[in-house]
Amino acid sequence: MSTTLALARREITGLFYSPIGYIVLAIYLLFVGLLFSLLVMQPGAIADPGPMFQWNHLILIFVVPFMTMSLFSEEYRSGRIETLRTSPITDFQLLMGKFLGAMGFYCVVIASSLIFILILSLFGRPDYMTVLTSYLGLLLMGMLMVSIGLFFSACTQHQILAAMSSCVTLVALGILFQAISYFLGSALGVSWAWLRTLRHVLRYLAIEPHMVNFSRGILDTQNLIFFLSGAGLFLFLTYVVLESRKWR
Amino acid sequence: MSQPAEIVVEQLTKAYGKFLAVDNISFAVPKGMVVGFLGPNGAGKTTTIRMLTCFMPPTSGTARVGGLDVFHDSLKVRKNLGYLPENAPLYLEMRVAEYLQFRGRLRGMDRGTIKKRIDEVTELCWLSDRKRWPISKLSKGYRQRLGIADALLHNPPVLVLDEPTVGLDPSQIRETRKLIANLAGLHTVLLSTHILSEVELVCQKVIIIGRGKILAQGSPEELKQQCAQRGSGARLVLEVRGPADQIRSALAALPGVEQARTLSDNAVCTVELSGKLDGAMREQIAALVQQRGWALREMRSAGASLEEFFVQITDPGAAAAA
Repeated sequence: MSTTLALARREITGLFYSPIGYIVLAIYLLFVGLLFSLLVMQPGAIADPGPMFQWNHLILIFVVPFMTMSLFSEEYRSGRIETLRTSPITDFQLLMGKFLGAMGFYCVVIASSLIFILILSLFGRPDYMTVLTSYLGLLLMGMLMVSIGLFFSACTQHQILAAMSSCVTLVALGILFQAISYFLGSALGVSWAWLRTLRHVLRYLAIEPHMVNFSRGILDTQNLIFFLSGAGLFLFLTYVVLESRKWR
Repeated sequence: MSQPAEIVVEQLTKAYGKFLAVDNISFAVPKGMVVGFLGPNGAGKTTTIRMLTCFMPPTSGTARVGGLDVFHDSLKVRKNLGYLPENAPLYLEMRVAEYLQFRGRLRGMDRGTIKKRIDEVTELCWLSDRKRWPISKLSKGYRQRLGIADALLHNPPVLVLDEPTVGLDPSQIRETRKLIANLAGLHTVLLSTHILSEVELVCQKVIIIGRGKILAQGSPEELKQQCAQRGSGARLVLEVRGPADQIRSALAALPGVEQARTLSDNAVCTVELSGKLDGAMREQIAALVQQRGWALREMRSAGASLEEFFVQITDPGAAAAA
């Protein structure tokens, strides 16, 4: 456990040492502020930060890939992977160390949006339990996003390639699937069974429908399962990639 | 050689697709000895080392470090091993002591031990005054030393150093060799290099690898002997004033001379002789030169060096052409 934590700590400090960490933080705050002022902070509106969380993934899908791109890629490129893998640590510890490190930084990033909750509380009384479930939702969504970023980072030694691939995947989950399912549902107006199934599948795979419950203060096991199983799947795939690299 | 072997490699093979990087090699490194692992670039040194340090599994064959199999007891092997990879890759944004602390924690050392060992290894590797420095600000030489300090941090019985003196200045090279020589006895060291003088200075045993196969092994003296026995070991270089062609043919006709080569043929020509050239032979040559009325300016022996032996066995083509 202590080796895993040592690895995680190094990842977090590594992000704080690099300009990338601060750029990520600044961009995130900028756009969350935009969501906040456009959707939440309206004259006469009720003090509900919900929409800010519901659409938070639209920012994170472009921000998280830059956080995760270097996790393994940079180790491969610099050759440090050799010092890591010849240390007495298992691949699982290595994977968890990287994952927890990136999650630690992710938590710092989403916690920075607490400033807007503070501002909101100056003008009204938001429901703090809803805020809590919203952050839980963000945390779970982060696990999925970070594990996707981790997977692509483990696949290549080129950071930019890793960032692009995870960005494309996250855009699919965050925007594309939902848009297609919406298009299939309303615009097409046909009701073939297989098309309906496809629409359901795409809608299940989209992030927003799962996030909306959390932002309304609803804890649904389906949403929990979606994020946790997704994160589990990509962590497992990353583990497989790490193992397979040994044999090349 | 009565010491038990710390590293035992048996019929180790690594194939990248159809290419055999390491082809069925076997060798042993006795406990407490500094052993040089020598070979030209691309000979399979790094691949062998990567298998020994559990970075990649062998295609076939076995390797044991401290009696433990690198494949089946990988974690235990890695605990007992200090490894300096080629070019000593580091986290540039970290500070020296911070990096060593991180590495200590990865090896499961406790806080107190780590602190004590950081003081010891930074002292040993002349890094004490750089402990607070960011690694990005360190020169190549200091980074290399930090890599060695890292390998020594947990005081492992076995050390594997992949080209530890690359990028160092001459005085640092000398200091590093001294450091490595001092490690003998306390640690078993496998030192990969392609610098021959390094091996002659610090190693008690040499293993030469080329094109994935072991070409020779033994102490530096044994290898020099082998080289001399191959015939072309001893050489004489003569500088004589006179007609180059006549000088060469006259010298080539002497009994015992296997080959005579003109290196330069100006007014003063330089001829290189090889073959069975002992002391009496030199007097004979001097007499011959004088008798013919030429002038002998210089005669020196270019004895069997490890370097020659190395070139001979790793690149037969080049040796024949020379």
